[in-house]
Amino acid sequence: MQEALDNAACGLLQTTADGTFVRVNRLFCQWFGYSADELVGKRRFQDLLTIGGRVFHQTHWAPLLQIQGSISEVKLVMADRAGTPISVVVNALRRTERGVVVHEIAAYIARDRDKYERELLLSRKRLEALVAEATKLQAEANERELFAQQMMGIVSHDLRNPLSTIQTGAVLLARGELSPGQQRLVARISSATDRATRLISDLLDFTQAQLGRGLTVVREAIDLHATVAEAVDDLRLAYAGRKLVHEPVGAGSVQADANRLAQLVGNLVSNAMAYGAPDVPVTVVSKIDDGACSISVHNHGPAIAPDVLPHIFQPMSRGTEVGRASRSVGLGLYIVSEIARAHGGRTSVTSFPDQGTTFTVVLPR
Amino acid sequence: MSIEKRNSVRVGGSGAVTVFFAHGFGCDKNMWRLLEPVYGQRYRTVAFDHVGSGTSELSAYDPVKYSSLQGYADDVLEIVNQFGGEKNVFVGHSVSAMIGMLADLKQPGRFAAHLMIGPSPCYINDGDYVGGFNRSDIDGLLEALESNYLGWSSTMAPAIMGAPDQPELSVDLTNSFCRTDPEIAKQFARVTFLSDNRADLPRLETPALIVQCNEDIIAPVAVGEFLHRKLPHSTLAVIDNVGHCPHLSAPSACSVAMDTFLAKEGL
Repeated sequence: MQEALDNAACGLLQTTADGTFVRVNRLFCQWFGYSADELVGKRRFQDLLTIGGRVFHQTHWAPLLQIQGSISEVKLVMADRAGTPISVVVNALRRTERGVVVHEIAAYIARDRDKYERELLLSRKRLEALVAEATKLQAEANERELFAQQMMGIVSHDLRNPLSTIQTGAVLLARGELSPGQQRLVARISSATDRATRLISDLLDFTQAQLGRGLTVVREAIDLHATVAEAVDDLRLAYAGRKLVHEPVGAGSVQADANRLAQLVGNLVSNAMAYGAPDVPVTVVSKIDDGACSISVHNHGPAIAPDVLPHIFQPMSRGTEVGRASRSVGLGLYIVSEIARAHGGRTSVTSFPDQGTTFTVVLPR
Repeated sequence: MSIEKRNSVRVGGSGAVTVFFAHGFGCDKNMWRLLEPVYGQRYRTVAFDHVGSGTSELSAYDPVKYSSLQGYADDVLEIVNQFGGEKNVFVGHSVSAMIGMLADLKQPGRFAAHLMIGPSPCYINDGDYVGGFNRSDIDGLLEALESNYLGWSSTMAPAIMGAPDQPELSVDLTNSFCRTDPEIAKQFARVTFLSDNRADLPRLETPALIVQCNEDIIAPVAVGEFLHRKLPHSTLAVIDNVGHCPHLSAPSACSVAMDTFLAKEGL
């Protein structure tokens, strides 16, 4: 029996319930540098554990063995006779032998496995540190972005009041007796203020959309053609010297926000004026079908580059480089798509060198 | 979240006095499986898991709240206020003995008695005080925790090879017993083994029994004697047991000491 134990390929031992060695095989003795005589009846299994191991032995091992009757694959660090720590994997079984509780223990040395596990843990720690760092950076970036957007909202909002004072002043000035030169000046002040006011509403809408609140629209029954016609009339004044055509198609009422549609037409026309050929008319078509209605704005002139097209409705994207001062910061088309979205509609664009460019917004009726 | 769910509270037994069982660092309320039914014959029993252990609600684990024993003590008060009666006895194993004391100090009069099993107010030697460990031992333990076996996760829990002697062992018991989230286990160990509640001891007015094992490396006899000197109304009972869990390995010696004390206190 002892011979079989001694020739086993793992450390085998038996202890009493309090851990005192009863039997121990040759391999275990070799591993830990003790003779069987030095262990049996004299030392306890837990005496060979490191302090951490002993705490573990009392807080986990003992209750587990007591309640479960067995535990397996527990990794412990034991010290050999010279005090060198050795990692071992241990299985233990609690049983009763002739009315006395004994623990049967099998131990395997796990140096390489231990090394490997430590490396795994180390790389996990490194990874966790990296993830924590990235998360922190991301949170900071988000905060900065939020701040910038809120700032933009506040500034745009506050700019409205002085602009409205300028606008009122220009209107009042125009009523007085002015020389032709002064009249031109007042008209320029007026149209510049209009542009600035539009730009500010775009900025405010953009901020609102970016902050995740979306644009607010109030849908009610409106006359689509009349709404578009009115917007086009206003735009003709702003773009004196350019030809702007409105073509209504179909009939019926539409559920939509008239102010938002006027803003949408304004943005699309302003875009067409900026990028279209100046000597050819810009055409606005408002169309009512059975289930839907649409507004499209067409201009002749150079086509939009194919690589720009997919992103054209993203904020801050611009078409080809047109060095014109009339362009806003590239929010116009984004606002158009947001207005369409808020109505449950969608936006599309086609652009060819010979046919020109058409922006179309389709909205449910 | 209900306290019952948060702390996986188990109520049993019946009687005029309610006995609360709080497990220590290591496993969970199943530590009490030998004592709970015995005391259930005379008392109402309430056993629970600290948040982060056993079948408690892991999502309720707040690293800030549980960065000191007071966080656990606050939970104990909530449990006692919800499940307790007029007379409440607190049985705390190991670190839970101090958690019970902190709860008592926060709401004096809530407890009729404390039964402290293997308690220690401070695990680290300090001048003349013998806690049983050097700071380097504890650092070694905490380091072992970081890189080793104590952080058993649910995927790494020790397998059972089968316990032919104990066929009554239920599956859910073996599935939860001693399993913890490694991160929580690490913090609980840190909070436990670095705690120092020596200064609070003289303030405890409630009678307390110290159940001291004659051989316990976690709470050596010197610690039990220290507690007995510092706790104003304490009784020291040294029982014959090797290890830190006499309620499992020496349940009868443990309950004899507890019963004697409870009888003396008229509970």
